[in-house]
Amino acid sequence: MSPLSRSALRLADTAAERCLRRGASEAAELDILINAGIYRDKNLGEPALAALIQEDIHANLGHPPGVGHGTFSFDVGNGACGVLSALQLLRGFLSSGAGELGMVVASDASPQPWPRGLIPQQRFPYRAAGGAVLVGWDDKVPGLTAFRSRTFPEYASLCEGWTEWRRRPRLFPSSPGGRNELRIVRRPGYEARAVDCAVDVIEDLFYEVDLSAGDVDLLVASLSADFGDALAGRIGLPEGRVVNVPEQFAGSHTAQIIAGLEQAERSGRLADSRTCLLVSAGSGITATAALYQQ
Amino acid sequence: MTSKQSAHWMTSEGSSQWRPGQAPHVARFESIGVALPTKRLTSQELLESLRHHPHIDLERLTGIHERRVADDGEDSLSLAVRAARDCLAHSAHDGGDLDMVLSCSISRYRSGFRQRFEPPLSLHIKDAIGASNALSFDISNACAGMLTGVFILNDFIRRGEIRRGLVVSGESISQLGVNASKQVRSIFSRQLASLTLGDAGAAVLVERVPDGQDRGGIDFAAFTTLAEHSRLCLAYPSRVGPGASMFTKSRTIHKVAIEDAPPLMRDALEQTGLRFEDIDYLIPHQTSSRAIRKGVAELSAQLGAMPKHVVDNLERFGNTSSTTHFVALHRYLEEGRIRPGERVLLLSLASGLEIGVVLLEMDQLVERYGSGTQVGGYGDADDVPVVPVGPAAR
Repeated sequence: MSPLSRSALRLADTAAERCLRRGASEAAELDILINAGIYRDKNLGEPALAALIQEDIHANLGHPPGVGHGTFSFDVGNGACGVLSALQLLRGFLSSGAGELGMVVASDASPQPWPRGLIPQQRFPYRAAGGAVLVGWDDKVPGLTAFRSRTFPEYASLCEGWTEWRRRPRLFPSSPGGRNELRIVRRPGYEARAVDCAVDVIEDLFYEVDLSAGDVDLLVASLSADFGDALAGRIGLPEGRVVNVPEQFAGSHTAQIIAGLEQAERSGRLADSRTCLLVSAGSGITATAALYQQ
Repeated sequence: MTSKQSAHWMTSEGSSQWRPGQAPHVARFESIGVALPTKRLTSQELLESLRHHPHIDLERLTGIHERRVADDGEDSLSLAVRAARDCLAHSAHDGGDLDMVLSCSISRYRSGFRQRFEPPLSLHIKDAIGASNALSFDISNACAGMLTGVFILNDFIRRGEIRRGLVVSGESISQLGVNASKQVRSIFSRQLASLTLGDAGAAVLVERVPDGQDRGGIDFAAFTTLAEHSRLCLAYPSRVGPGASMFTKSRTIHKVAIEDAPPLMRDALEQTGLRFEDIDYLIPHQTSSRAIRKGVAELSAQLGAMPKHVVDNLERFGNTSSTTHFVALHRYLEEGRIRPGERVLLLSLASGLEIGVVLLEMDQLVERYGSGTQVGGYGDADDVPVVPVGPAAR
C-alpha cells in the first residue's frame, strides 16, 4: 500500500503488485480481479477500473491461443462495505472451482490529482489510500466462513457521494458554462447510526453461526479510527482484541478494512487468532460482518 | 506458487469446472422485464442537432433508425425500478422473495444527471421493489454489467447459497449523444459511438431450477478480460455539459473484438460439447449492425458454421449499453419468436475488453410472454430483422 500517491489507479496498482509479491504469486496466476474502490481518477465510469489495474500489473493481458488462462476483472460498488462484498463473491467463485486465485483491490483518491486547495470545491474528504488482498483456496482451512449484510435505507441521506453539473460564469464565449463536480456529504449522526447498524448485523451473524463475542479473538473494523473500539464496547468484546488501523490509513475509505487486516497480519495477531471478525459500515447505511477462521 | 496451466482461457461456470459436490443446482431465467422511454429520437434528428457537420449517414453506418430517449423525470434509477417491476409482474415471485439484487448499470443517475457513487443504486432499487431482505450491491463492468451480474447469480444459485436474485440495470445514456453533438466534427471523432446510444432499463430474475426438472436453464457462463485493450473506450463526467462523455477508438475495439472472439467462442463451445450451429439464437452486444455482421462473418469463417439466427435489435433502440441483450431477448419473447427447448447464446463484448458468454436453454420463460401487451412500449414497431447469415440461415 502506498498513501503517497494521489491517483487511485496508481494506488491500486501499487497495492496489487506489493500484495502479489508478499503472496509469492505472479499476476498471471490471477483468475479473478475485483476492484471495490469508489473514487478514482477523473471519476472514470467505463471501463471497470479493475480492467485498467489488470493491464497495469500485466495479468494475462491478451489471448495466446491454446495455452494458459485468462483473468476476469470487474468492479463492485458497495461503499465502505465493497471489500467484504468482493471477498464474499471471491469465496464463492473459489469454492465452486470457477477460479483458483483471486484478488480484491480497493483504492480511493481525489478524482483531480491536483494539490489540495487549488480547487476548493473539489476538496476530497478521504485520505488517499489503496489496498489489496490475495485470496486462494485451501481445503484444510475454514477461511472466510460466514457473511452477513444488511441495509438501512432510512439512513441513506447521511452519507452520499455524487457528481453533478454546476453552472459557472462563462469566462469566454466558448466556455461550457459549468462543470461536473464531485460532492461528498457526511451528515451529523452518520457514524453513531453506523455503529448501531453494525451492532445489529454482528448480532445477526452471531445468532446464525451460534457464536458469542467471547469467541472472537480479533476484531478488524472499518469506518473511522474509533469504530472498532465503539463496536467492541457495544458487543462486549473482551479488551485487547481490536486491531487499530495504522495512522497513515486513518481517514481512508474502502481500503481501510484491508489496512486493518494487514496490520493484524504484520503484527502476528492474525496468525495467533482462531476467529477474526471483520466489520465494515458505510453509506446506505450498509453494514457487513464476516468471519475469518483458521 | 508456480504459474499454473489451465485448459481454458475464460473463467467458466460449467459442469467440468465445479469442485465435486459444490454445484448441485442449475440456474435459469425465470422472468425478464424492460423499461423503454416513450420519447424517440431518430438518427436524422440527432445529426441535425450537431454543432458541426461531419457529413456522415449515421443510420446507414450503424443500422440505427431511432433510439429511445429518457424524458424529464426519468433517470437511471427510475428506468431500473420500472424494469424491475416489469420483471416481477411477469414472475411468480415478488420483491420479498429475492435473496440478492445487483444493479449493473454504467450510468447511475438519480435526480437528473447526478451520478451516484454512494450509496449504491441497488439500495434504492431494492427499497422500491420491497426486496428488503436481499443482499445488494452494484456491479460495474461497462456494457458487460448485466451479464456479469448473471455470472455472479449463477454461481450463488448453483452452489445453493441463494434461491433467486435480480440483475437490473437502468441506462440513461442518450445524454452522451447530446454532449458529443457539441464536439463531433468528422467520422473519425472518438465520440462518434456516443451517437449510437439509447436509453433503456432491463431486469432478469435468475432462480434455481426446481429439483427434478432436467431441461432448461443456464448451461454455461464464462468471462474474460483482455486487458491489453482496457483503454480503448473510456467514459467520464463530461466537460461540456451534464452527464458523461465517452471516447472510443471504435475501429480498433471492433478489430480486436472480431479477432479475439472466435478462439474464445471455440473454447466455450468445446466446454459445452456443442457446435456453433446448435445455437438457435445468438444475441451479441448491440453496437452497430455493421459490427455485428462483420463479427458474425468472422465467427462463421473461424468456426465453420453459423447459429440459426443472429439478433440485430439496433434499428429501433440503438445501443442501450448493459441492457442490450435483455431488451432484445424480451422483444423476441414478446413476439413469440423463441420456443421452449431452443438454445440462446448471449455474447458480451464490452470495453475492458470484456468478452463473455451465457448459454441457456429456453423453458418456462417463453410461456410468460407473447401476450402482445408489451409493457415496455414496442408499439407498432416492425419485426426485428434477423440477419441472414450464411448457409445455415433458415
